[in-house]
Amino acid sequence: MSTALPQSSAAATRVAPSARAGKYLTFFLSGEEYGLEILKVSEIIGMQSITRVPRTPAFVRGVINLRGKVIPITDLRIKFGMDASIEEESCIIVVQLRDVQTGIVVDRVSEVVALAETDIADPPDFANGVQTDLLLGIGKAGGRVKLLLDIDKVLAAHEAVQLAESTSAHAA
Amino acid sequence: MIPTSLNDIVALLMQLEVTDIGDLSVLQNALLILAFENRASTAEQPHVARAARLLGTIIDGSSKNTIADLDAVSAALDQALNSSTNATEPPPPPPRAAREKSRSKAPAKSGTKTPPKSCASEAPPIAGESLPHDTDVSLLRDFLTEAAEYIAASEVALLTLEANPREPEAVNTVFRAFHTVKGTAAFLGLAHIAEFAHEAESLLMRLRDRQIHYGPACADLALRSVDILKALLGAVEDALVGDGALLHPPGYHSLMIALDGYNPAVDFESQEDAPTINAAPRVARVESAAEATIRVRTDRLDRLINMVGELVIAQTMIAGDPYMANSLTPDLTRKVTHAGKIVRELQELSMSMRMVPMRATFQKLARVVRDTASKVGKTVQFTTDGEDVEIDRNLVDILADPLVHMVRNAVDHGIEPSDDRDRAGKSRTGSVRLSAYHSSGNVVVDLIDDGAGLQRDRIVSKAIEKGLIESDRGLTDNEVFNLIFAPGFSTAEKVTDISGRGVGLDVVRRNLEVIRGRLEITSTPGAGTTFSLRLPLTLAVTDGMLVRVGTERFVIPLTQIHMSFRPEPAMLSTVVGQGEMVLLRGALMPIVRLHRTFSVRGAIENPLAALLVIVGDGAQRTALMVDELLGQQQVVAKPLGDALGRIPGFSGGAILGDGCVGLILDVRETMSLTTPLLKLAS
Repeated sequence: MSTALPQSSAAATRVAPSARAGKYLTFFLSGEEYGLEILKVSEIIGMQSITRVPRTPAFVRGVINLRGKVIPITDLRIKFGMDASIEEESCIIVVQLRDVQTGIVVDRVSEVVALAETDIADPPDFANGVQTDLLLGIGKAGGRVKLLLDIDKVLAAHEAVQLAESTSAHAA
Repeated sequence: MIPTSLNDIVALLMQLEVTDIGDLSVLQNALLILAFENRASTAEQPHVARAARLLGTIIDGSSKNTIADLDAVSAALDQALNSSTNATEPPPPPPRAAREKSRSKAPAKSGTKTPPKSCASEAPPIAGESLPHDTDVSLLRDFLTEAAEYIAASEVALLTLEANPREPEAVNTVFRAFHTVKGTAAFLGLAHIAEFAHEAESLLMRLRDRQIHYGPACADLALRSVDILKALLGAVEDALVGDGALLHPPGYHSLMIALDGYNPAVDFESQEDAPTINAAPRVARVESAAEATIRVRTDRLDRLINMVGELVIAQTMIAGDPYMANSLTPDLTRKVTHAGKIVRELQELSMSMRMVPMRATFQKLARVVRDTASKVGKTVQFTTDGEDVEIDRNLVDILADPLVHMVRNAVDHGIEPSDDRDRAGKSRTGSVRLSAYHSSGNVVVDLIDDGAGLQRDRIVSKAIEKGLIESDRGLTDNEVFNLIFAPGFSTAEKVTDISGRGVGLDVVRRNLEVIRGRLEITSTPGAGTTFSLRLPLTLAVTDGMLVRVGTERFVIPLTQIHMSFRPEPAMLSTVVGQGEMVLLRGALMPIVRLHRTFSVRGAIENPLAALLVIVGDGAQRTALMVDELLGQQQVVAKPLGDALGRIPGFSGGAILGDGCVGLILDVRETMSLTTPLLKLAS
């Protein structure tokens, strides 16, 4: 597919095509398969008890103790508006963004796939405003479609909401 | 025979054999004597020093290309010779000592300038220079660190001198500082720093030899010299990380000229009219050699402290393991407990390594007071108390800026002009006092001035004008005063370039938020204002009380807890059907239902079946309602993670004995989270 697409502002903010190729860790959320850049993954740990933190948005499940460090855990299913439940194979992927570590709860971890640029397509623009700007693209491998998350955006976007919520709660 | 003049040395260089180490050593020795025993003029010195250094590399074999280096040596000596023949002095360049004598023989009476120095007679370069190509970066960095220490000591000494002009140790301290910096700078090829230090040193030498008096102009020059030296060093640092270009800081040339033309006669006369600005803090004499210390890289120290923290956690987890509780071998328990004791002591020790006394901050502030006071033409006496109080190194940095702003503000706006003070029956000299002490797990820093005080009404009207509040109904004095920290707020009638623009205090508030500090302000119009900064002592192993509310567990810092009890019906009452209160020993306190504040499910809702934990300081005591007390635990406080930001109500998370995270309650914030409800009620 050649890049003859008109440069809309949404497309302009996408990561440059050549930067998307690489290895992705894929996992399942509510039946859908997602992927995130393997270089950003610190580790994968089993589900453990998450301490709830009051007055945080619903998608912040709480915090856990990661070898002496307290890190927050996000539930992407809640963030994406899906049903949230603890599956038997649920686990936590620890992601390292710049100098911040966060964990995300996923239903099941799948595999690591290497995707070439040709395997990745831009997500279609859905008319009904579905949030596709959180995706780097849509990858195809092994006959299955994997939604590649721009994990920085996903977790950063929630920070902004976070701050807004907690400051308004504070001011109340 | 050791050659003594530069010409002799150059002659020797022409003759010697490149391979003869003995000859080279003699040469190097001669160069070193020339450079460092004040026998070369300042223009020559850096070149001579450089030549000496290069020779050193040839001699000890570390030179990579002896021929090239030898060429460089003779080039350097050429430069030295050229610089001296360009001077207005007769060749051969007279030894430094002789020139000094001719200066000092011209006492105050003559009052005119001595022959201008070579650097001032040539047109000073407008652009700067650059770092020498062969600079040894690590040597340079060490130099910068050491020089910074010397400068800090100099400042203190100079301020002491203002209060006590005949204090000999102080003059020596400053003189030594400039002298050492000069020498090392020359060695490293930093010519302009060496030249500058030399000028300043000359002035200080006259002071030290009691040829001149420490008058106000002299004091000004001395302090300006320290400032310029700081700037020069800063330029070197910039050059190190940048492209090597060294810029002369503004004021450099004018100060050089001023230093050169300093006329003590004029200064001495004006001394009688000058107001005495007494800004020397009541400080113990600057220790000259005292404690044995060692330099440690801060990142290593931080890693050490982190590891010790994790050790504490690991040990707590071992000790808290169910197997330990059920263990039938008391031996094992004893050993684990013993290990625990050692670990805790290790923890305390490592924490103390990060603590620094407030002294350095106070000294910096003394300078700020002096400069601000003289700038606005007021006389202020600055006293300090509690320099030995220690706080975490990280806190010091964040605290410095707010304190500087607040102190400037106090001098500029707080203290009234001398005439006003006279009319109000106060002494003409204002007083600003800084006091640091520990109080219930916090470090408190009080800034007290005896100035005009804060006018509540003016603040309120200004705040209303700026739309910050609608009315001041129900606001305590402290809350009104805290409004002055809002961005853009200022009731100053005149905007000076120091303050009044409404910018400074906003910085204060933001910085304080970062370190979770609290600011309390009390003021009496006409009498003065007190700013009280309360800072939590970061981290450390806190003793906490683990409590359960429903399905969740929280940690309440033990220092905040007064007592806990199960209430009886007679003690409880409600206000306007909404706020609940409990009466204990004559004190009425509001009840905070933690399960409501934090939306916890499954908690006990009947106060008679729950426990009330009394927390808080002084008049603001509150009763927190919990389900049960789970026991005391030493916890290591951890920040909640940057991704979460600050969660109101909690100061951090703690790793509990079973490995889970327990949230540590910030008592004050928890109380303020529920106050709105109570306010409605009252």
